[in-house]
This record gives sequence, C-alpha cells and structure tokens, in this order.
Amino acid sequence: MYRTVVNRILLSGGGRRLLRQPDLRTVISSSRFSTTTETQTIPNRPLNPPDSSSLSSSSTSFQTPPAAGDVPRHERKNPRAEYEGEQARVLQASLRHVLRLGWSEKAMIAGAKEVGISPSIVGSFPRKEAALVEFFMDDCLQRLIDRIDSGEELQNSTPSQCIYKLVRIRLEMQAPYISKWPQALSIQAHPLNVSTSFKQRAMLVDEIWHAAGDETSDLDWYVKRTVLGGIYSTTEIYMLTDSSPGSFPLPSRA
Amino acid sequence: MAFRLVTRNLRNRISFKLRSASLLHSHATSFGFKEVREEDKSQMVGKVFSNVASNYDLMNDFMSAGLHRLWKDRLVSKLSPFPGMKHLDVAGGTGDVAFRILESINSIRHRALQDTINDDLREETRIYVCDINQNMLNVGKNRALERGLGEDKSLVWVQGDAETLSFEDNSMDGYSIAFGIRNVTHIEKALTEAYRVLKRGGRFLCLELSHVEIPVFKELYDLYSFSVIPRLGEAVAGDRESYQYLVESIRRFPPQERFASMIVDAGFHKVEYENLVGGVVAIHSGLKI
Repeated sequence: MYRTVVNRILLSGGGRRLLRQPDLRTVISSSRFSTTTETQTIPNRPLNPPDSSSLSSSSTSFQTPPAAGDVPRHERKNPRAEYEGEQARVLQASLRHVLRLGWSEKAMIAGAKEVGISPSIVGSFPRKEAALVEFFMDDCLQRLIDRIDSGEELQNSTPSQCIYKLVRIRLEMQAPYISKWPQALSIQAHPLNVSTSFKQRAMLVDEIWHAAGDETSDLDWYVKRTVLGGIYSTTEIYMLTDSSPGSFPLPSRA
Repeated sequence: MAFRLVTRNLRNRISFKLRSASLLHSHATSFGFKEVREEDKSQMVGKVFSNVASNYDLMNDFMSAGLHRLWKDRLVSKLSPFPGMKHLDVAGGTGDVAFRILESINSIRHRALQDTINDDLREETRIYVCDINQNMLNVGKNRALERGLGEDKSLVWVQGDAETLSFEDNSMDGYSIAFGIRNVTHIEKALTEAYRVLKRGGRFLCLELSHVEIPVFKELYDLYSFSVIPRLGEAVAGDRESYQYLVESIRRFPPQERFASMIVDAGFHKVEYENLVGGVVAIHSGLKI
C-alpha cells in the first residue's frame, strides 16, 4: 500500500524539475545487521499527495476528503506531515549548532533542545548525522531554486556565465560552514550515505543546467551533467583549503 | 416446540463458536494456550516470574544461545541514549536494558568531548526500572551492585504495573519494554500509558518475541520452542510449567503488523518494526509528536 502511495506522490508532484521528495527516504530504512531482514513502516492513515513544500516547517494541514463512513479521519492533520515537520524543525535548529559541535548527534541534540522537543527524536532519524547533512543539501537546493526563480541576475547571461554564477551562489551557501565542511563531505562519502548524496548532487547539477537553458535530449545530457558535477565537486574541495583573502564573502559573525 | 428447541440449540452453537472465536483473538484472557479470567491473569503471570526470577538470566542465555544480548544491544542503539535523559524501562526487572543504556551514556565515546555541560547533564540522567514483580527487581539490584552501579543515583528501581504507571505525564524521553509486553493483560492500556508518560519527541521501543513466517524456519522454530524449551526449563530451572507458558504466550501475542497498528492507535507516529532473526524477535518503535 505504501508503494502505490509513493508512486502517486511522485507522479502528482509534476513540473519540469526532478522531484524533490527527500523526506520519503527517511521513512523506509534498510537494516545493517546481517541477522535482520527488513524494517517496515506502518502508515498512520492513507496519505494525501503533499505539495512541494514538504520541506518547510510551517504546518500545512491536509484535509483528507471525507469518505463514506470515514468521519473521524478528515478532522486530523496528515500525521506524516506532522512528524516530518517536527523533524525538519529540529534539523533547522541543529544547523545553528553545527559550527560549534560539528555535523554530529550533539548538534542535533542541541537543536532539539532549542526547539523544545525531547532529544530522543534524534534516535528516530535513520542515519543521524547524514540526515542533518542531507537536510542542509536539500535546503541549499531549495534556496538556489528560489534564487533562480526570482531570476534577475540570470537575465542576460550566456549559458556559461549562468552556470558560473549559479555554482558560485550555491557554494557560497556552504561558506558559513566551511570549517566543518570536510566532516560533512566525509559523512556523504560513507557507503551507507553515498547513494543519497549522489542523488542530491545529481539533482543540483540538473537544476543548474536547466536554469542555464539546456535542452539536449541525447547522450550529451549525461555528459554535461557529469562534467558539471566534476567541476562542482573539485571547486568544493578546493574551497576547503582556500585561505586567500577575500576568497569568499563570509557572514560577519563568522 | 421441537422446532423452537432446534433453533435455540442452533443459536447457542453459533454464538458459542462466535464467542470462542473472539476469545481466541483476545490476548487479555489468554495465559498461553489456556483461557483464564482477566482478573486472574496478572496474578498468574506474577507467579511465573516469581518462580523464574533467580534463573531468569541464565535461562535467557540458554534459550536464545546468547543472542538476547545482541538483541538488547540493538534495542539500545536504536534508542540513541544521551546524557541527561529520563528513561523508563518497563518490565525490565533484572536490569539488562537499563545497564546497557547507562553504559552507553557513560561510554568513552560520549565522554570524548570533555565539556563540563555534558558532565552536569550526565548527573541528571535517570533510568527508571519498573517491574510488577519485586523478586525481579531484587535480582536487578543485586546485579547492579555486582557491576559497581549500586551507588549510582541514575538507576531508580520502582515497582509498578505497566497498565497504570505512577509517573507524570510528559516526563520521559524514552520508554522501552523488552520481552515484557507479552505478559501484560491489556496491551492497549500499556501502550496508552506509554504515550502518556512520554514527552514530545519521546520514543517508544518494544523488543518482543514475535511471529516467524519464513516457511521451513517456522517449523524448525516451532519444534525448538515446544520440544526443547520446556525441557530446558525443567533441567535448568526446575520449572517446566513456566516455560511452557512462555512459548505459548509467544504464539498468542499479536503478529508484527497487528501490534504495530495497535501502537498507531495509541497515538504514536512513525511506527516501524524491524525483524531480527527472521521474525523470532521484533523491535517496534514509535514517536510521540
């Protein structure tokens, strides 16, 4: 039942972009021990397709359409959105502690305390620190998309200028965390987390190419994205060791 | 008149079948495969555990070939304990889970970042071990002494009933029940109580023997349960009846999916379960939001 719901959500998300449904991944996790078989999730209620603001922590209540004889359900908020909203709030607050405590459980515990939720919630994230890093990556992608949509600066640029600006904008979002970014990279490179981080980078690169006006539909599609992915990653790594003055604008308190 | 008698008999027979069918599904009146009155169940369970208390840990080792240690380790790692946590371990009489949680919080890994805030927080940690049976709690207290945790004020031993806990609302960060919920007369009440005492963001974790569905393995497991375990109980603990009750109560407990839906009904979110050893043991978890 859960899989058909996932399909419905993915299909209805629609739009020209690759769909961003990061939170769904955290729900079904595969177990690491060789003696275990599977982890299964029980959905609280039949799910409604959430809109694309599933990342945002503002509570949007979904009304399930009243079905015959189904009276109590349509008065409840969508419960999955509720706990995911809470998790998103905790992660958002945790980001403020990352500079001090690193991309770690400690930062997440501090974030939970700040929001007023018991730090036990940290245990419910399937791959704890990775959840924080992935949340940050998704958040940055969302902000990048917002910048693209508001789009004044991309108006009269050639594609290569466009790509340059977008990569720069995106990397500058990481600048505040640069002292702890190597830890984030190592978390993303961990075998358990590689597939998710790869997907996130693929989405990022696709988004940048799309904003630059790319419309290829043959093998070049893959080539372009792979090349941009390589450029992005090497720039990112170079940023870690770049200490030249004025290398990137840092927020004043850092 | 004969006709009326016939219909009455027929009705009685049908209603008897319906009644017995509903009894079969009611966990509250099952004591293993026997049917008992609800009021008697907790007393009978109490007697079982008074009998087995002294040999409980030894028998656990024998029956599970030491695997129960790994299962409890997995439960505690899923919990992710943190310094300053208030945790309630229900039906945890001999303290296995509580000791693991304390050791996890005090471990070198957690203390690696030497900040004073954490040390103060660690002082505030409280693990409440609640059990309905005083004998089990006594065994637990002795084990704590052996481990050098006798003076540790983080461990609090409380006698109480899972269906009516004496703790305040929204006071616990975590709630765990390992191999205990099977023995509770009204599972729904225990789940509701768990929901009540947990704080927002608190987690419910339940480790329990559960149902195996894998074809050949299921038969082997049944064979092991019904032939080996009661005999082992007789040899090691001198108590065949208690271990017969044990294996029967496992079969009467609701299967994984149904238990998970009961947890959802109690109000928990993000309810998941993880099967260990093909379903012999399942860890159910839920989040209170």
